[in-house]
Formats: sequence, C-alpha cells, structure tokens
Amino acid sequence: MKKENILEVKHVHKRFSSKGLTVKAVTDVSFDVKQGETIGIVGESGCGKTTLGRCIVRAYEASEGEIDYRTESGEELDFLKIDKKKMKEIRKEIQMIFQDPYSSLDPRMTVLDIIKEPLKANYPKMSKDEMDQIAKDMAAKVGLNPTYLIRYPHAFSGGQRQRIGIARTLVLNPRIIVCDEAVSALDVSIQAQVINLLVDLQKEMKLTYLFISHDLSVVEHISDKVGVMYLGKMVEYGETEQIFAHPKHPYTEALMSAVPVADPNYAMERIPLQGEIPNPANPPSGCYFHTRCRYCQQKCKDCAPEYREVEPGHYVACHFADELKLRGFDYSAMESKS
Amino acid sequence: MNEVNHSENILEVKDLHVDISMHEGTLTPVRGVSFEIKKGETLGLVGESGSGKSLTCKAILGINEKKCKSRGEIIFQSGEMGGKIDLLSLNPTGKEIRSIRGKEISMIFQEPMVAFSPMYTIGNQINEATLLHITKDKKKAKEISLEMMKKVGIANAEKRYNQYPHEFSGGMLQRALIAMALVCNPDLLIADEPTTALDVTIQAQILELMKEMQKEFNMAILFITHDLGVVAKMCDRVAVMYLGKVVESADSQTIYANPQHPYTRGLIGSVHKIGAQKKEDRLFSIEGTVPLAMNLPEACGFYDRCDARIEGLCDKADPELIEIEPGHKIACFNCPHEACKKQRAEAEARIKAREAGEGGNA
Repeated sequence: MKKENILEVKHVHKRFSSKGLTVKAVTDVSFDVKQGETIGIVGESGCGKTTLGRCIVRAYEASEGEIDYRTESGEELDFLKIDKKKMKEIRKEIQMIFQDPYSSLDPRMTVLDIIKEPLKANYPKMSKDEMDQIAKDMAAKVGLNPTYLIRYPHAFSGGQRQRIGIARTLVLNPRIIVCDEAVSALDVSIQAQVINLLVDLQKEMKLTYLFISHDLSVVEHISDKVGVMYLGKMVEYGETEQIFAHPKHPYTEALMSAVPVADPNYAMERIPLQGEIPNPANPPSGCYFHTRCRYCQQKCKDCAPEYREVEPGHYVACHFADELKLRGFDYSAMESKS
Repeated sequence: MNEVNHSENILEVKDLHVDISMHEGTLTPVRGVSFEIKKGETLGLVGESGSGKSLTCKAILGINEKKCKSRGEIIFQSGEMGGKIDLLSLNPTGKEIRSIRGKEISMIFQEPMVAFSPMYTIGNQINEATLLHITKDKKKAKEISLEMMKKVGIANAEKRYNQYPHEFSGGMLQRALIAMALVCNPDLLIADEPTTALDVTIQAQILELMKEMQKEFNMAILFITHDLGVVAKMCDRVAVMYLGKVVESADSQTIYANPQHPYTRGLIGSVHKIGAQKKEDRLFSIEGTVPLAMNLPEACGFYDRCDARIEGLCDKADPELIEIEPGHKIACFNCPHEACKKQRAEAEARIKAREAGEGGNA
C-alpha cells in the first residue's frame, strides 16, 4: 500500500448468481483513495456504482479482488480476508449514508434512539448519559435542534431526515463515508444545504468521502476525483477537472453532453447515445460500450480494452483514448458568464 | 426555442385555490395561482416539493382526489366544445370533461412504472384512448397506436405492442406513455416531472422527443419540474411557484439572467453550475423549509426564509403578482421597480390604518 492512501481497491469483482444466471455487477474495478479526498462515482442506473459502494463497506461480500485499508493506527488490512470480529471493529471507521431519507430511518424509534443506535451496538458498556450527550452534540453539529430529538422521523422534512442520517453515521467518528446518492432525493435548495454541511464536516473531521451519484453537477462540485462506471466496469478515472473538461472515454463525453445546464444560453451539442444500457447478464463482446459508441471500430467488437494510465493519474479503458479528440465542458465559457 | 405563431391563449388559470379539508383544519396547498399558456408554447412551472405544482395541474384536468376542492377559474380554449369554457364549472365525472381529458388535454406522469397498469399490454393501454376518442374500429385503433409508437421511437413496435410494462425499461416506458398521451393529438400536454425518474442520457433523449413532437403537433406544453437545468432547455416561459402561489413569471431568458424575486434568486443560486464554483465556495442555500399551508397568517409566504424581507411589512401583508415589465411579473415588496414601490406604499398605508384602528378600539 502506498503511504498516502487510506483505501486501495484492487481488481474487485462482484457477481450475483440465481437460477444458473450470473450477473456481473462489478467487473475488475481498481482505484486508490487518499485521506481527506472526495471520490465521485458516476454512471447510469444499473452500472454497478451502488454495488461497488456496498462492497467497500462490506455490506456485500466481493467475489474477487482486494480492498486494502489503512486503519487509524496505521495497520494495513485486506477487508476481504479479515474475520467478522475484526470487521466489526473496523466498520466503525467506514460508514454509509443512504439515498432515501424516508426508508432508511426506523419510524418506530425516536430520533435520539436512531442516532444512539450505532453507539449501543459498538460500545455496549457506554453509559446512557454519555450516549445521550454524544448524540445531542452530534445533532447540534449537523444543524438539528436538540430539543426535537424526542420526536419520531415522520415529524421531520426530507432535508432534516437526511441530517439525522448523517448524524447517525458520524457518532462513531468514521474516517471514510460512502454517500450513496445522499442528496438525490432532496429539492435543490435543500440539496445545497446538505452539500454545504457535508463539505464543512469533511474539513472539521478530516473525512474521506466516496460520493456515489448520478447527478454530475453535484459530483463536479464536491469531488476531487471522479470515476465513471459503465456496465460494471470503471471506464475512466481521474481528477475532476480533467474528467469534465478533457474526457478521454467516449462514454464520459456523451454523459457530459447530456447534463442539462441551468442557463438557456448554454447550448452544447448533445452527443446522441443510442439505445439503453445493455443487460449486464449478457454483456456485449469486446468493449462493453461498443454497441452505443459512435467511434466504434472492429477492434472494439473483438477485444476488451485495457484499463490503463494515459496521463499521470488519469486512467481510461478505451483502445483509442490517445487518438480521439473528445469534447468536455467548456470551462472558460462558463466562467466568463458567472 | 420554438416559435410561437399564435398569440392566443389556450389556457388561462385565474386565482386558482385548492382546499383539502382534514380534521386538523383546512389545508390550502394552492392559494391563488394565475398563469396563462399561449398556443404552441412551453410554460415551465417550477418550485420545491410542497409548492403545489402537481395539485395545480391535476386541478386543470379535474383529477384531484375527492377531498380536494378547487376554486377559481380555469378557462380552456376548446375545439370540441367550440370556444372558451371554464373547466372548473364542469362536472368532474361528466361527459364534457371526459371528452376533453385525454383528447384535447393529456398528461404524462413522473413514474412511468406506476402510470401503466401491470395487468394489460402496452398496446391495449394506448388503444384505450384511441377507442374512446377517435374510432370504434379496433383494427383502425391498432394501426393508429402502432404508428404513434413508431413516431416516439419505440423500435420493433409490432412486438412491443403485445408486451407488458415490466418488459420495458424506464426510458422505453416513458416513450410509451408519451405515445399514449399524444395519440389523440392534444392541444395541451401537461408533463408532470416526466424525466425526474430517468438517467441523464435517457432524460436528454426524452426531452428531445418531446420537443420534436411539440413541433409536429403544434401543441402547448405545461412542463412541471424542479430541475432548473431542464427548464432552461425546454421552456419558453417560466412561472416560479412558492407555497401555492406564483411568485415570479417571465420568459426563460429573463428568469435566468435577471431574476427579481428573492426566492427565484435563491433557487437559481443553489443549483451548482459546472465549472462556475470551486469546492471551497459554499453553494448558496435557502435556509429552512417550505412551511405547511395551514392557518397561514396574512403575510408573504416566503417571509421566514427571505434574505430581503422588510420587517413590519412583509410579515403583515401579502404582495400580489404585478407586472414590472412587459411579460415579467413578480410578487414582492422589496423590489426597486416603480410598480412594486407603489404596491409597497399602499400596503404600508393599509397596515398603518389597520393598526391605528386596532389601537383606537383598544
């Protein structure tokens, strides 16, 4: 493991089988995460981004590969090899925020109990008063009024519920948080509140985020690096600005061109992406993207491209990454207007 | 943007209220909405959840739940009925409204999976509208439906015609829903968040399809969404709703370039524009949430969350929607424009008179 990395995901596969049918949800995904960074994972629904997030918190058992993690004490562990007891210890440091603030909170527990629950599970010997105190402090930190904590989740709005979810995640003092579509269910004005909160907490608590989302503009705002997934594979990975301004994979290019921009004068020609994401149980031959790629050639149909580093820190899985001149967002045009 | 040839209004909504009586009291999620749509244009209705967008558009078709009572006027230019009629005056289960619903005004819903019945084939469900409004001949109806399915880009339409909704992907199902809405060639299409449940790439396809269809059929679209990026792409004019009222309306260029109402400014400011801000910059956010539309005081609904509120005025009077420039209307006291200043002065005088009266009585 490299010194500066907190997490190294290496060649992770996840397969689901049922009735003799195998779906490759995640295929050979590798990337490194430095401490304090935010990694955005984007892609269409069904591309495996949630499965990847769940493999990292080990809610799913990855079928193959390595997930190396450096603990707070500097110990290096492979998640997939350690036993349950050790995993329980480590899981405090890796937590998750869920998408839907309506279904991820138990309606029969008060908010205080919800926030306290991770403490109860992990520190059975902690006194009740101490737990209450930690929960109340955390509630105040995420902007919830501590006097409301005796209420039940139904009394809170979507944005406040997401704050409850965040408080529950943070009481264990985690180091890595997997945010699975954490703001997708919220209105834009509330989205902005929650994103600001996440950024503030990151600074304060030195958190590392894995930010899974299909909303590219939110990812662009919050992430240092972005990984683009397609049909279970990572097709491109690099610095946010690199990915958005100078994409190297045709899928990224098409994805960028489809984002609606809140400016009627910003006219970017959309690159048509024909059809829909193929069935992951029966993926196309060669490059998975060739059925929808406008630069497709015979080579793409025959063999799968290697996931390689084309520039320092910029990884692409495309045969023609060096030759293609792809368009990204025109940053200069946006800046001159704002 | 589409060229609007006809300046005639196809729909005029005037002072629409929707009341829901509950045992805690009367909830008024729509509190006096007014807007108009011209033939062939696209009007975007924007606002947070709970602002009353969906109830407004369901009130137009008279398909709100029974406990919702609508008041006001909804004037529709109907070809079927030969002139202007008030849709609210019609019996919601009567013959007249049924001849308009689905034929002259039709609707696309947010969740295509929920909008279709899982028990019938797609073809059967598209046929339903055709058989009701166009022809009684089943063979002919099938032809019309198939043609429409091809038009909205459903490949292999003959095979798809006999399939059930679960055999369709989300994007394809939304296409089928559009085919169902357009099969009777409506004059007005109400689209309630038609792309919110879809991926960006599919969303872009569906939006382009809607624009194409609009050109082909020359219909007006009432486009309901909370996504300001989609509005910028689709709409000629925009009406911003907050707490059951339209607080600002203008053509979309003006709304983005020169928003006047503090809520519109906040809404546009809280959308992150790619490339415009760095991570270190905080996103602009509107603090707080939309209040519950029950027992509201006579005050501006946005008062608690507004950064331009005037104490002693905005919490005591509710500004009306007035025109500040041709085609640009806002409802706010704190605006430097002449018309707003006049409204403000009048409101201040009214409050003074009322307080003096109360003081005298006490």
